Amino acid sequence: ASEASEVQTTDSDEVVVAALPQKRPADSEKMRIEIVSLAFCPEAAVLADDSVQQVYVEYKFHDLPLSETETPMSLRKPRAGEEIHFHFSKVIDLDPLEQQGRRQFLFAMLQAQDPRQGHLKFTVVSDPLDEAARECEEVGYAYLELWQVLESGRDVVEQELEIVSPEDQDVVIGRLKVSLQAAAVLHSIYQEMTEDLWS
Amino acid sequence: MGEPETPVPDSGAVFTFGKTKFAENMPSKFWFKNDIPMYLSCGDEHTAVVTGNNKLYMFGSNNWGQLGLGSRAAVKKPTCVKALKPEKVQLAACGRNHTLVLTAVGNVYAAGGNNEGQLGLGDTEERNTFHRISFFTSQHNIKQLSAGSNTSAALSEDGRLFMWGDNSEGQIGLNNVINVCVPHQVNFGKPISWISCGYYHSAFITMDGELYTFGEAESGKLGLPKELLINHRTPQLVAGIPEKVLQVACGGDHTAVLTEKAVYTFGLGQFGQLGLGTFIFETSEPKVIEQIKHQKITYISCGENHTALITDIGLMYTFGDGRHGKLGLGLENFANQFFPIVCSEFLRFTVQLVACGGCQTLVFASPRINVVGGSDFNQ
Ligand SMILES: [Mg+2]
Ligand SMILES: [Mg+2]
Repeated sequence: ASEASEVQTTDSDEVVVAALPQKRPADSEKMRIEIVSLAFCPEAAVLADDSVQQVYVEYKFHDLPLSETETPMSLRKPRAGEEIHFHFSKVIDLDPLEQQGRRQFLFAMLQAQDPRQGHLKFTVVSDPLDEAARECEEVGYAYLELWQVLESGRDVVEQELEIVSPEDQDVVIGRLKVSLQAAAVLHSIYQEMTEDLWS
Repeated sequence: MGEPETPVPDSGAVFTFGKTKFAENMPSKFWFKNDIPMYLSCGDEHTAVVTGNNKLYMFGSNNWGQLGLGSRAAVKKPTCVKALKPEKVQLAACGRNHTLVLTAVGNVYAAGGNNEGQLGLGDTEERNTFHRISFFTSQHNIKQLSAGSNTSAALSEDGRLFMWGDNSEGQIGLNNVINVCVPHQVNFGKPISWISCGYYHSAFITMDGELYTFGEAESGKLGLPKELLINHRTPQLVAGIPEKVLQVACGGDHTAVLTEKAVYTFGLGQFGQLGLGTFIFETSEPKVIEQIKHQKITYISCGENHTALITDIGLMYTFGDGRHGKLGLGLENFANQFFPIVCSEFLRFTVQLVACGGCQTLVFASPRINVVGGSDFNQ
């Protein structure tokens, strides 16, 4: 250890650091959502559907415009056994003073009795190559349970969510890999909101 | 709020992106008092900077002693390797977990991980200080070093190539051995002008401008047709590139090639590291990056899963795996980029050096003078 501390100070006066790192919001005041990758099941009808050539993924988050919560690019539809990688990572500000609306939105999800309201919904969308010819079409949905994150106190690291068909939500057509750093902020929101309820 | 930023001096600054260990892995920058960077190299998670005053500064992960500073503790600030001060350091090459250094008298030193003999010291024991590779003397006249995942290379002025370390995939060009712990000349009929070690593959350019690849054959990263892959342990000509080749850079599973006319890429592009768009995730056939055909590219660098290009007017393009912010395109919101994207941070700078590593990118750039909004603005 003495070697290490000696090392850290050696000649550091010759190096000028432009600025200290900016103070970043605490983990209890932000969340990070990452759409990592996507694969379709070998038997999924979408693989054979020539009208689907490229896909992107989006989710809705309270006041955020879709342009900020959809993957910035559409990627070629994955082939059987292939995974396509977006690595689309977004940090959402959940400042307790400035972003009460977003915190309420998350609290409502945590509290939802209806299971369809209790999760973050990701939509896989087919992006037609010829934009004039066809509309974007929803190809599948994946759901991330927020309650589990609160309950376990653990962030989600590259978890595979089932993608289900919009026509029949019992039919699994693929897997969407996502990460979610939100355990700390969900805990903070739940505490804050339930305190309000009982005070 | 952060501290008010000190303006970058006219002599420039080193900009850091991704998991560098510097500045808590946030995009940041630093510079030297009375000295400037001349050469940058990145390993998987460590970085070397060689300065104009021939000093070597190291920082980053240090699990294997790859910083050569006498410990295995990670180092968060560029730290001078004092032990090498008596000799002028000229070049450094960071492999995945080891480091090679060339000094002005022609000595080659190595530190770090050594499980395949990549330190060239005759054994497989790791070192946390720089040890001289006795094989090399001033007579070898070394002009370039390169290091991969447990592989090492040194190239002489007269075109002789020496390699050592891991040969499990034939990536140091020897046919019958798993690894070698001392430098070994790669016997090849023609003099060689450039070497690049990727993670498990390697490539060199002959003085007449031909590209040869060898090592791991998977995912198209050798740029060779299927029928030639059986001989992947021997350097083979990449015939798919018609022009004279100037530079090659090998990444984790991809290869980028700069010719007189264009930039070609091949190999795996699942994260966009080929820069060939959102429909090509793998190719064994070298393909031109059409998007930047109108630009004159002067330098290319490949990290494990990303690529950076410098243009003749000092702009920088990046593409590939966007995780950790290593593409230099934002503070906290990232995505993979499948086409070359100009790094807007450097529109006001001239990019002079770039090095891509496993999870980071280092850039040396100096402020542009005589641009609108610059010093002329007030006149
Ligand atoms: Mg879109
Ligand atoms: Mg990576």
